[in-house]
Amino acid sequence: MSAVTAPGATVSPTATRIGRGRALSGAEKAGILALVAVAVLVPFVWSNDYAVGVMVTAMITLVLNISWNFVLGIAGVWNFGQLAIYALGGYGTGLLMLHTPVPPPLAILLGGLLAAGVSILLAFPTLRLHGIYTSLLTFSFAQVFLFIVVNDPAGLTGGSFGFPTVRGLYSFLPPTTALHAYFWTVLAVAAAATLLVAWIRSSRLGIALRTIRDSPAYAAARGISPLRYRVIAFAISGFIAGVAGGLYLSYNQSFTTSAMGLTPMSIDVTMLVIGGLGTIWGPILGTGVLTGLQVSLVDYPGIQLTILGTILLVIVVFVPSGLVGLLSQIRSRISAWVAEDEEADDAAVPIAREES
Amino acid sequence: MHLTDVIGILVETVVLGSIYGLVAIGMTLIYGTLRILDMSQGSMVMVGSFVGWGVLVVAGWSPALAILFAFAITFALGTFTELISVQPLMGRRGFDFEMVTFITTFAVAIVFANVALQVFGPFQKNVSPVVSGGIDIYRGVDLSYQNLTMALVSIGLMAALGLFLARTRWGLAIRAVAQDLDAARLMGVPVMRLYPLTMGLASALAGIGGVFLGAKFFAYPGAGDLPLLEALIVVIFGGLGSLPGTLYAAYTIGLIQATAEVLVGTTWSLPILYGIILLILIVRPHGLKGRPEEARL
Repeated sequence: MSAVTAPGATVSPTATRIGRGRALSGAEKAGILALVAVAVLVPFVWSNDYAVGVMVTAMITLVLNISWNFVLGIAGVWNFGQLAIYALGGYGTGLLMLHTPVPPPLAILLGGLLAAGVSILLAFPTLRLHGIYTSLLTFSFAQVFLFIVVNDPAGLTGGSFGFPTVRGLYSFLPPTTALHAYFWTVLAVAAAATLLVAWIRSSRLGIALRTIRDSPAYAAARGISPLRYRVIAFAISGFIAGVAGGLYLSYNQSFTTSAMGLTPMSIDVTMLVIGGLGTIWGPILGTGVLTGLQVSLVDYPGIQLTILGTILLVIVVFVPSGLVGLLSQIRSRISAWVAEDEEADDAAVPIAREES
Repeated sequence: MHLTDVIGILVETVVLGSIYGLVAIGMTLIYGTLRILDMSQGSMVMVGSFVGWGVLVVAGWSPALAILFAFAITFALGTFTELISVQPLMGRRGFDFEMVTFITTFAVAIVFANVALQVFGPFQKNVSPVVSGGIDIYRGVDLSYQNLTMALVSIGLMAALGLFLARTRWGLAIRAVAQDLDAARLMGVPVMRLYPLTMGLASALAGIGGVFLGAKFFAYPGAGDLPLLEALIVVIFGGLGSLPGTLYAAYTIGLIQATAEVLVGTTWSLPILYGIILLILIVRPHGLKGRPEEARL
């Protein structure tokens, strides 16, 4: 934990210190715009409802992963309780839709606020702890929450049978139109979450969070309060996760405990790690690659998770910085090779540091 | 609260505490020596429960053989897990070793659970009790021989582990590495051979725990999930890396859970337990016996 080093996306040596900078480089902005532009057209071009449905689910997972990446990768708090926060957003939204006349979009926002509130409450005991204790406490939080929901002592959540059917956002539309409406809604939320996190990452808050992550002693010396900034990070991340949960409930018109058990947790962690923790493109790449993999393995449900687990193990052991880290390593190798730089190999070092 | 309740709670405390201790002490041993948190410990309990089912129900052999087989198989699996998920990461720079091994051992646990799901199917398999029958201790407070054996074997194994660590060369080597890695290396302790051995040993303890837990409940691919969660709570509470802390914590948590079960029922016992642990951690962030300067990397 010596030098304060930089985002993996940039390779220029001048950018290897955390600086204000731009949230996204010109090429990255163009990339995100192009991705959104292509995605907007998908429902027009591809009239396969199954494929569109898979993409809606994948993008909801992407929103969850963006929120998780924010607290785990950017703030550097090893929080493994995010699925419980996500489920809280879902159940909160569902209860509002079921028992109150609140309009569905507002219910989703309120679900997000509830999730943010619980996330803040979780932050206080969690941030008392350091290192591995953090992951232990949050992991057990998620498991105990799951246990409570499955047993459903208060009769609120429907337990393992699933939440009672709710109307959802677009139940007044015919099924295919509703599906397309969900597609665009979720796409907009995913794009907004990506841009929000990219912007925060290079704002004062983001710089403070990354400094606390990479060099706690330096942060302390500069008077940056880890507790204050990390609680804010928990709140923002909890809100995004809660909105993702609300969207999931609304799209499926229900919420089951299978959305928050060990299986989805394994898949989401694999997506985050394979994509590259702490980067903006990591969640997008990881979610995309793993969804593609899951779809291609859909005929072999039994071995799906075995393969995912093996991939997770292999990726972590060989490329701990994930796909984004690997890509920028390759890019820096190539540019170094083009420049015929003698110290080509050293260029990879500051990038490998990033994902700690 | 009547006297029968009190005695019932005490009996349950000893039974629960012993089995928690057996599963959690492996985690503590691994953390103390390798500085990793072994998330595959739960799958060893699951494997143990299937070994128990295979030996006791399918083959119809004796419980002693079930324990022996569980020991051998989970020892081998634990060693294998260390070699594929921890050893390749040793001594490399550029990431947080504790966190990365948390993920790799978790990945191994995913693979084990799903291979078991593929081989044995999702259904719970009933395992005949290791020992049948029981005695009436006090006016309706039953102690089944199953629970008694479980507690006695667990306590016996923990005592054996203590003797192993205190008296044998390999045990001393494990403690030396836990205390001071560099000094142990300089004294000629073969660290890279010691790590797989430690993880195999810890896994084998969890595997034996699995035979008993499988017989008490069921054998199925998720049989390790709850024991893993309970072991995690025990090691957080006890303080990572402290063997005495783990023992105190195991029985304290057994007591809290038994009391909650008797007073408010099984549904709420785990949430109540978690709430109490949360409060304790706010006051003591390193558990009962954990040292604040544990971090080594």
